[in-house]
Amino acid sequence: MPNPVEILGRARNRIARVAAIRAGAYALAPAIVAVILALGLTPIGQATWMRWGYILAPERAAMLREILLAIAAGALAAGGIFAIRAHRRALDFVAAAQRVDDAMRAHEEILTFAALADPDLAESQKTARSPLFPLLWRHAIGLLERFDPIKTFPLAIGRPLARSSMIAGALAAVMIIAAMGLVRPPTREQAIANRLREIAREIEATSNDPTDRAIAGEARAAADALENRSLPPLQKEKKLKQAMRDIKQQKKQSESGNKKGAGAGAGSQATKGNGKGQSQGSDKGTGTGPGGKDKSSQPGSGSGKSQQGKNSGSNNQQGKQGKQSKDSSAELQKELAKAQAQVETDAKNSPKPDAKKPGDDTKPGNAPKSGGNPDKSGTTPNPDSARPGSVPTASANVHKNVPPTGGAQAGAKDFGSNQGDTHLGETPAAANYQRYLKPGEKGAALDIHDARYVMFRLPNAAVIGAGGKTVIDSNRPTASTAYVNAPLKETTDQSAPDERQLVPPRYRDLIH
Amino acid sequence: MGAAPQASPDQRVAEFRKTFSRAEQEVGRVIVGHQDVIRKLLTALFSGGHILIEGVPGLGKTLMCKAAADTLGLSFKRIQFTPDLMPSDIIGTQVLTESDGHREFQFKPGPIFAHVVLGDEINRATPKTQSAVLEAMEEHQVTVFGLTYRLDPPYIVLATQNPIELEGTYPLPEAQMDRFLFKVVMGSPKPEELREILARTTGTRAHQIEAIFKPATAAHEIEALKGLVREVMVAEPLERYIIAVIGACTPGGPGAIPEVSQYLRFGPSPRGAQAIILSAKVNALLAGRVSVSYEDIDDAVVPCLRHRLLRNFQAEAENVSTESILEQVHKRLKRPRA
Repeated sequence: MPNPVEILGRARNRIARVAAIRAGAYALAPAIVAVILALGLTPIGQATWMRWGYILAPERAAMLREILLAIAAGALAAGGIFAIRAHRRALDFVAAAQRVDDAMRAHEEILTFAALADPDLAESQKTARSPLFPLLWRHAIGLLERFDPIKTFPLAIGRPLARSSMIAGALAAVMIIAAMGLVRPPTREQAIANRLREIAREIEATSNDPTDRAIAGEARAAADALENRSLPPLQKEKKLKQAMRDIKQQKKQSESGNKKGAGAGAGSQATKGNGKGQSQGSDKGTGTGPGGKDKSSQPGSGSGKSQQGKNSGSNNQQGKQGKQSKDSSAELQKELAKAQAQVETDAKNSPKPDAKKPGDDTKPGNAPKSGGNPDKSGTTPNPDSARPGSVPTASANVHKNVPPTGGAQAGAKDFGSNQGDTHLGETPAAANYQRYLKPGEKGAALDIHDARYVMFRLPNAAVIGAGGKTVIDSNRPTASTAYVNAPLKETTDQSAPDERQLVPPRYRDLIH
Repeated sequence: MGAAPQASPDQRVAEFRKTFSRAEQEVGRVIVGHQDVIRKLLTALFSGGHILIEGVPGLGKTLMCKAAADTLGLSFKRIQFTPDLMPSDIIGTQVLTESDGHREFQFKPGPIFAHVVLGDEINRATPKTQSAVLEAMEEHQVTVFGLTYRLDPPYIVLATQNPIELEGTYPLPEAQMDRFLFKVVMGSPKPEELREILARTTGTRAHQIEAIFKPATAAHEIEALKGLVREVMVAEPLERYIIAVIGACTPGGPGAIPEVSQYLRFGPSPRGAQAIILSAKVNALLAGRVSVSYEDIDDAVVPCLRHRLLRNFQAEAENVSTESILEQVHKRLKRPRA
C-alpha cells in the first residue's frame, strides 16, 4: 500500500526542482544573449567597417564586451540565487500538498491530511489528531494512488523563457543601440590600420606559406602600432619602417627561393610567376614554377619536372592564389606607405613640446615620400619594379573600376582602387564659399581657380500684374475687428485689502 | 438506529449522512420546496446552533420547525412573542404550592424547557422579554430566583420574524442576533410548489411524519452525531481563509474591502467564524468527507454572516444589503496559499 506521506514528499521535491529550474530559466535567455553579443562584437565591428565604413573602436568594443560579460555573469548569478530561493520556498510540505490537492481536485482532503501528517510536525500535535484521521488517511491513499508527480508537475519552462526572452530582446536592443552609438567614422590611421588587417587576413586566407604568414603578422603588428595612441608618432614611424623593411626582406627571400626552385621549369614568363607559386616552388624544390605560367595564359599546359603534368589543375589554383597573394602584398606595401605618410603628417601637425628644438623641421622623414605610391618612382625601390620584367600587373581591384577617392572622403573606405591616389590623403577640402549679389550689384571678382564647379543662382522673375495698374487684392486676409492697443485704466484702490475685489478689466470703466 | 461509540469512522459518517438525509426527506414531506432552508435548519441543529428564519406569514415556518422536531423525536414548544409577553412566561416562574400542609415555592418551567423551541415572531416582544432567551441560547441554562436550571441537550431555538409590519416591533439587539448560527430567508413558493401546497393542505390526504429516533434515545443519538461534527478536521490554511473572510468583513480590519468600510458600522464577531466552521463541517460530512473544503466554507459564509454585519445609514439609504456586501467580499477574497 502506498504511503501518502512519501508520495507527497516526492511531489514536494519535484515541485521544488521545477520551481528552481523555472526561476533559473528567467535569467538564462539574457545571459545567453549577452554572451552572444559579447562574442559577436568583433564581427559586428567588421560588418560596420565593411558595409558602412564605420568602425567600433577596439577600446570601446572591449568596454562593451566587458559590460556584456558582466551582465551575463550577473544574470547567471541572479538566476542561481532565484533558483535556490525558489527551491527552498517550494520545499514546504503543506504547500506542496495544496498544489497536489488543486491538481487532483481533492477538495482539500490532501491538504488537510498533509497539515496533520507533516513530518516536521511536533509529536504532540500528531497524537492530538481527530478520531476521523484514519478515514482521512484512506481517502488520501485513494486519491494519491493515481498521482504521478512528473506528469502532474511537468517541467514547463516555456513561459519563463518567453518572459526572459523579452528581457533578453530589450537587452540586445539596448546593447545594439549602444554599439551603434559607439561606432564612429574612422580616423585616417584607423582606416589604414583596418585596411592593413584586411590585407593580412586576405594573405592568410589565400596562402599557407610561412613567409606570407609572417608578412601578415607584420601587417597586423603595423596596424596595432598605428592604432596605439600611447605610441608617439616617431615610434610609430619607426615601427612602420621596420615592418616595411621586414616585408621587403621576406619578399626578397621568397623570390630568391622561387628562383632557385623554379629552375628549368621557368620559361620566358617565369618572372611573371606570382609569389605563391614561387614560394611553393621554393619549398618543394621543383615543379611549381610553371604554375604561374599556367595562370597567365596557358592553364594546365605546363608542368614541372617532378610533377610530370599530374598536378596541372592544382598548379593553376595555386597560381591564382599566388596572384592574389602578390596583389595583397603590393597593396600591403602601398598601405604601409600611406600609413607612414600619415604618421609623418601627424608628427608634423602635432604640437611640439619645444617648438625651437633644432632639427625638427629639417628631418627628412617629414616630407612626403614617394615610395608608397605605385604611380611614381621614388627613392624607395619597389620590389616588383626592381625585378626584370616586372610590369605592373592588374590588381584584383582593377575590375572594380573604382575611381580614386579624394581627401574629402578620408573617413570613408578609399581602398577600392590602387590607382590615381596621389595625394596621400591630403587633397584640399572644398570651401563652401557662397556669395550673393543683388541685381545690378558688382562685387569683387571671384577667384575660382581651385573650384570644381560654380553654381549661379538667379533671382526669381518679378511678377507684374494688370498691365501696370495698381490692383487691390480683395482676397487677402483682413482682421474682422479693429485692433487697438488700449492700455488698462490705471486705478488706485484705497480701500482696505479685505474690501478689495478683483474686477475684470472690461467692467472697470462701468464701475469707476 | 444510531451510531454506537465503538463504530468505525466510516460507519459513523455513513450514519450521519443517512440520518440527515432521512430528516430532510421527512420534513420535505410536510414542507413543499425550501430545501435549502430545511438543510440549514438541520445543519444548525447538528451544529448545536440556533436559527433565525425570516419570511412573510404563511410560508410554513412554524410547520417546518415542528416537523423537524417531530422527525428527530425531540420535544417541541412554541412561544408566540407578543408585546405583552413577560420573561417569566418564557422561562417559568416560582409558584406557591402546598403539599402535606407545607407551603413552598415550586419552579414551574416555562416553554423554553424543550429540545426544540420555536419563538414565533420574536421581534414583536419587548427587548426585556427577548433578552430572557439570551442565557438559554448561549449557556443552555436559565436562572430563576437565583436557581439555575439546565436545559436538556440537544437544545435549539428556532426564531421567526416577519420582515413586514414592522410597526410596533422591536428589532433584535445585536447581541441576540449574534447568538443565532444562521439567518435564513424564506422566499415565496414557486407556482409548482404552490400547487403542491394546495393539493396537500386542502385535500383529505394528510402526511404523517415518521420519527427517525425514538423520543427516549433521540437526544443521545443526536448528541453523538453532533460529536461527530466536531471531529471533522480543518486544515490550517482553511482556518486562515475563514479569518481572512472575517477580517475582510470588518470595517477597518485587515483586508477590509472598500464596500465594507463604506457601508458597515460593525463586522462579525468571533462567533461568526465559529458558525462558519461548524456549518462547514456539517457540509463536509454531508459530502462524505471528514475534512472541510473551501466550498464548504463558501457555502456557509452568507447564512452565517448576513445577520452579523451592521449596516450604517448610508447602506440603508442606498438599500445595500449585507448579502451584496458578502458577495463582493467573496469575489475579491483570494484563497490563501499554504
